[in-house]
Formats: sequence, structure tokens, C-alpha cells
Amino acid sequence: MNQDKGVSRRSALKQLGTGAAAAAAVAASPAAALGATPAKRYAMVIDTRKCVGCHACSVSCKTENDVPLGETRSWVEYIEKGDFPEVRRSFLPRLCNQCEKPQCVSVCPTGATYKRKEDGIVVIDSNVCIGCKYCVQACPYGMRFINPTTGAADKCDFCLHRVENGLVPACVNTCQGKARIFGDLNDPDSVVSKAVRANALTVLRPEMGTGPMVFYIDADHTDARDAARLGTYVRIETNRRQQERV
Amino acid sequence: MHELHWGLPVILYLFLGGLGAGAGAVSASVLLRSGGGDRPGSGFDIARWGALIAPFPVIVGTGMIVFELGSFQAGNWFRFVNLFKVINLSPMSIGTWLLSLFILVSLAYAYTFFMKDPRPGDARHSLRKMLAWAMVPLGVGVALYTGILLGALPARPFWNSPILALLFLVSALSTGVAAILLARAIFREATHHQEVARSTYLMTSSDLLLIAFEIAVVFLFIMYAHLTIGNTEAAVAVILGGRLTSLFWLGFVALGLAIPAAIELKYVIPTLLYQKQYVMPRSIEIAVCTLVLIGGFMLRYIVVVAGQITGPVGI
Ligand code: SF4
Ligand code: SF4
Repeated sequence: MNQDKGVSRRSALKQLGTGAAAAAAVAASPAAALGATPAKRYAMVIDTRKCVGCHACSVSCKTENDVPLGETRSWVEYIEKGDFPEVRRSFLPRLCNQCEKPQCVSVCPTGATYKRKEDGIVVIDSNVCIGCKYCVQACPYGMRFINPTTGAADKCDFCLHRVENGLVPACVNTCQGKARIFGDLNDPDSVVSKAVRANALTVLRPEMGTGPMVFYIDADHTDARDAARLGTYVRIETNRRQQERV
Repeated sequence: MHELHWGLPVILYLFLGGLGAGAGAVSASVLLRSGGGDRPGSGFDIARWGALIAPFPVIVGTGMIVFELGSFQAGNWFRFVNLFKVINLSPMSIGTWLLSLFILVSLAYAYTFFMKDPRPGDARHSLRKMLAWAMVPLGVGVALYTGILLGALPARPFWNSPILALLFLVSALSTGVAAILLARAIFREATHHQEVARSTYLMTSSDLLLIAFEIAVVFLFIMYAHLTIGNTEAAVAVILGGRLTSLFWLGFVALGLAIPAAIELKYVIPTLLYQKQYVMPRSIEIAVCTLVLIGGFMLRYIVVVAGQITGPVGI
């Protein structure tokens, strides 16, 4: 899988090199150029009303991507809120947001982390990554970890190896309640475009300016600090590696 | 519980790198200030100690960060070479080049002092002077970029402040001066002649100024963080009543800034105001320098830990 990435990275670089001349044309008439080669813009909508917190997605992600024990690329958080009898428990599935302006990319000193031009997926070339953890510190969502076997940074990549072959990510495939909707935002007829048009959406930590491509319907964004300020009872359970969610 | 992605090796690197860069920049500027060290009452001795110290902490510190790399731990020992295949705008990329240049130049600069009887105007004099011109910006650059490296992360509100780089720079210069004075205090002959006292006085009073400036910068750092709302305020609470409060106030502010500054003041004031002969007993000199060095380490430790146990790591 990692080799695949290496290859596609190289071809992407080649494209960049040969496309330098074409860049002027693109700048002159962006619409025409886009029409000729429609770059994809993958996104995910998560309908938390349909999520039952079964963790099928977390498990399928682990098997699909060989995620080492103790680490997670995708998980579901439980937010328990309020005092009896007015209590609500909601679920918040988490994964890399494949940001429009990924901070992990801007800090990476080796270029190992980059955003794919062809589909907007943020990937890591584990043959280039030196494991400096700068991106781990930079991601406002705590999505990254160092994979102990490769020594490289790791995270969700929308199951690139599946998506490139026309499949949906493993978590989307497994989701019992069909809470996850995946697709290309540049295609107005895709399920995800329709879901984006039909619903009020939120993203995580919009104030960070990262422009997440993972959108939520009816999600509870409470974090422990907000809760402490408001004086409500909130308990957040998270399956992420030994971290508090603050 | 929070995991610390950057642990002791990084903290030690930030401290040692700052110390070496500070010593190098101070040494070179002292040398240049006294016209290559050939004027009477020059700080040639100071410059020599600084030059001999500068490369080694930086090299040791750089070795430490290599140990922190995930690729190294996973057995890919030479993947860090990838750092040198790319130049981009990542502060770490720029820092890597600065650091490598600094190590090379500081080794060459140390070499110009590494002879039987180095003195102003000797055979390596012009080479030494030339390298000194490069040492000042390189030393300042290395000391600054470590703060920029941390400051560049909006995801870490404790670090995300332009003042942090300034704080690291001032602290690096101050620990650099302390390291020079400490080495000289330990290794020099017991004889107190006029020359030594004069240059020590100059160095000690510069250190005092640096500490005063550092206190001001720390004040600004805390004040601006505390007076904002939201993430930054919550992050800085970790040293204003949170888990790192006593370490910060006792370990860094009292032990590393206030006490050494007070002692230095006691010895500098008579010379400054009444033109008395400057005398600081060797034991006190050693104690003050050690305190400043401890303070420098504490600062890196607290900042690196505080940045990681606060801030939006979650949602
Ligand atoms: S969520 Fe984090 S890891 Fe994913 S693209 Fe955004 S900044 Fe990078
Ligand atoms: S850990 Fe790897 S991907 Fe992350 S910033 Fe460092 S080199 Fe880049």
C-alpha cells in the first residue's frame, strides 16, 4: 500500500513538472481547464443521527489498514451530557478531516505529507517521512500518530487504495446505520453533494481555519472545557490512544 | 493523561542548541566588538572560551533529536537524510539548514582558536575575524528558529505566540554567557588580574541585562496569553495555577531568573555606581552561572511540556 503511494506520488510530481507550461493556461481560464480535467474533491458527510456508536467503522478501519494495536485512524467518541432525567448521549465518529488547508502539510520539513492534487486527499509517503512528529503537533484534531512499525507518521487517508479502485472507504462500507456518506464534491450528482445541499452541516474546530472536508449533521461539539465553563455534567469517552479530549 | 510526542531528547536539544548558539554569537560579537580582539582590554579570552564551547552542545543536542525520530526508532537509521533533500518553508526545514551551517562554521571558528598560543593578531587572525562575522547571524538564527518552530503551531495555543521565539533567543544568549563565564571560572588560574576582572564585569553586567530583558519578555508572554480568551488563556492557565505552576515560578522565574539576577546585581552595583574594583568570588560566580543554566533548561522543559498537555488535541 505504501509503495502504491510512492508511485502515485512520483507520477503526481511528474505531472506537476510537465504541467508547468499548462499552468498559465489554467490561470487564464480556470473553468475551461477544470472542465477538461475534472480534479476530484473527496469529502465525507457523517449523519450523527444515524450513528449508533457500534464501532463497526473503527474495527473495519483497523483491519483494512493494518493499524497497529494501541493506535487508531478512526474511532467513535461518546458524549454524555446533562443531569438525570435530562440526559443525552451522542456519538461523534472521528477521522482525518483531509483539510483544505492542512497544517500538517505546511509544517512537514521533508514533503512526506502532501495533499494530492487529483483528489484532495492528504497522504503520507512513509518512505520519505522521518518521524519528526512535527505534523503530530500541528494537527489541531490530534489525528496523527507515529506508526511503530514504519517509524512514519500515519493517519486516515480515506482508504486511498480502495478509493483509487472505485470503492468507498472501509468505514463507509461497513457503517450499519448508513451514517457515513462519501463521494466527490465536484460531481453535483454524487450522494455526498446531495447530502451537502440538503442539510445543515458543521465541521470540527472551524476557528482553526483548516477547512475540513469531513462534515457533520447534528453533531454535538461539546468539549470538556466548554462543559466545565457551563457547569453542565459532561462525560466524554474516547477510544483514541491514552489522550484526554480537551 | 496526555502523551508527550516530544520528550526529553527534544527538550535537551532546545536547551543545548540554544546554549551553543548563544555562546557562539556572544563570542563572535565580543571578538568583533574589540576589533578582532587586538585592542587593549579586549575580550579575547571571552571570545576564545565561547568559540571553544559553541559547537559541542549543538552537536550533542542535534544527536539527541535524531534519537527522537520515529524512523530511527523503527530501525531506518539514515532516513533523516531526507531532511536535506528538500528545502521548504517549514521552520524545521529552514532550521535544519541553519543548524548544519552553524555546526560547520562554529567548528571552523573553534579551530582558529585551537592552537598553541592563540592571541590577537596571530596567524589565523583574519580567518577568525571572517568566521566571526558569520557566527553572529548563524547563532542568532539557530537560537531564534527553535522558538519559531514551536510558535508556528496554531494547534498548540501555549506555543502559538511570536514572543516565544524572542524568549528563546534571549534565554539562549543568557545561557551562552553563563556557559562562557562558568567555563572560565572553573578553568582559569586563581590569579585575579585586572584584565580578567574587567571582562568578567562586562559579561556579568550583560548577563544581568539579558535576564532583565528576559523577565520583561516572560511578563509579556504571560500577560498577552492571559488577557485573551479561549484556547490561549486556558493553555497559559497551566502555569498560572495549573499543573506546572510551581515548576514555572520556583524552578524558572525564581531559581533561573530572580536569584541569579539579584546576586549579580549585588556585585555589579558597586562597580557601576562607585567605580569600585569588581570582585566576584569564584564560588559565587560558579553558583550564579549554574543557576542561569538550570533556568534555561527549566524554560525549555516547561514550555515543551506545557504546549503538549494543553490545547486542542481533541475534537
Ligand atoms: S485533520 Fe489533521 S492530519 Fe488530517 S489533514 Fe487536517 S491537519 Fe492534517
Ligand atoms: S513526521 Fe513525517 S510527515 Fe510528519 S512532519 Fe515529520 S517528516 Fe513530515
